[in-house]
Amino acid sequence: MDRDLTSVTPERTIGEVIEILARHRLTGIPVVDGDLRVVGFISEKDIVRAALPGYFDYLQDASFIPDFGQFQARLHQISRHKVSEYMTDDVDLFEEDDSDFTVAMTLVQHGYIRGPVVKDGILVGMANRSALLERILTETEGS
Amino acid sequence: MILTVTLNPAVDEEYFLSEFHAGNWFRANKVVRSAGGKGVNVSVILAQLGYENAAMGFLAGYNGEYVRDELRKHQITTNFVHVSGETRTNVFIVDQTGNLETGIAEPGPYVSEEALERFLINYKRMLGRANFVFIGGSLPPGVPQDIYRELVTLAKEGGNEVFVDAAGVSLAAALDAGPAFAKIDRRYVSQASGTPFISLDGIIELFNKAHAQGANCCLTSYRSYGEVFSLPGGVYLAEIERERVVSMLGAGEALLAGFIVGKKENMSEEEAIRFAMACAYEDSSHVEHGVRNRRAVEDLMPTVRVERLE
Repeated sequence: MDRDLTSVTPERTIGEVIEILARHRLTGIPVVDGDLRVVGFISEKDIVRAALPGYFDYLQDASFIPDFGQFQARLHQISRHKVSEYMTDDVDLFEEDDSDFTVAMTLVQHGYIRGPVVKDGILVGMANRSALLERILTETEGS
Repeated sequence: MILTVTLNPAVDEEYFLSEFHAGNWFRANKVVRSAGGKGVNVSVILAQLGYENAAMGFLAGYNGEYVRDELRKHQITTNFVHVSGETRTNVFIVDQTGNLETGIAEPGPYVSEEALERFLINYKRMLGRANFVFIGGSLPPGVPQDIYRELVTLAKEGGNEVFVDAAGVSLAAALDAGPAFAKIDRRYVSQASGTPFISLDGIIELFNKAHAQGANCCLTSYRSYGEVFSLPGGVYLAEIERERVVSMLGAGEALLAGFIVGKKENMSEEEAIRFAMACAYEDSSHVEHGVRNRRAVEDLMPTVRVERLE
């Protein structure tokens, strides 16, 4: 588990999330309340979907994307909106003592790269899919 | 949980040379690279002594990722705000023949108002999980010089004990807010007294001013390998032997981490001082940063000379 607590609260803006994702080189971060309880998750996919309403679900390849100007304008517009409008409420949470295999399989099955780890509902870190796979491989080779 | 705040962390690069003087080209015998910054160093040593803790502040660029990864290796919880630019690099040159250390510190990346606001939001959230807060080090460009007053005040309002290790204006601002513990920089002591060399009486007089502002415990360096502690039970002078010292880089933070542990474990004042000084001694006795383990620290405790002054 990566004990990094980088997160946002629901009332922060999408623009701030974009900056955090870019600076921290992340694809998504948990959304927490004032007590660090996980209340959601916001990813770059959520943001792109918000900037391309109606088109996202039909995207098969890049040729279907509308012109860049429209996308840019829409992104500017939603950058001032609150995280709560676009975050995922239904978040798969992991407990500190969940096994690496269980966590890795859940992340793989749902297509997640990272997932919040909690203790008594409070964020204590993030499970990272690639790090987990490496750890499982290392433990297998060592046994 | 113990929370450390390092607004201006660094990558410390320590070069060990047979000899050094300006104006020539030298080849290092050894180079040691480590994550640095007062709070970062305290976090690492607390983790080495078995204490769960969290570190926060500002990081930037590849150097910032290095600092974060180093903390991650010690299983330290992190909650840094990343800004543009590059976390600073500090260079230390150790002249092994002359036993002299020369340091060059960078200013650090610029921190915008928005980044500072984000940090304060994170800080207030983290205070809810902490019971002890360490705040220390220099300030990066863009951060107000009196920020420590606000940080100390918020921590105290959250019911936390606060330890500050700073210098100059930022230390003065922190003292205004009355932290429970204050490490007072030797240069600040000289500036406050108006003389480059200050006597023990001068130090104690300065400490009394800090006590009046609310600091229960004050400490400052004295001579090369000594420390003066002004605690509720009295004023103490503690010193270590010089002979095993390899590098003093980070030893101050090792001392503070040790003192925090002593406080957490309800050690007597003298025992806490010995443990703290032994941490500093252990850290300084080898090239690698931090303490090897608790046993190595405890083995050095009997070598610490402690004299009660009043």
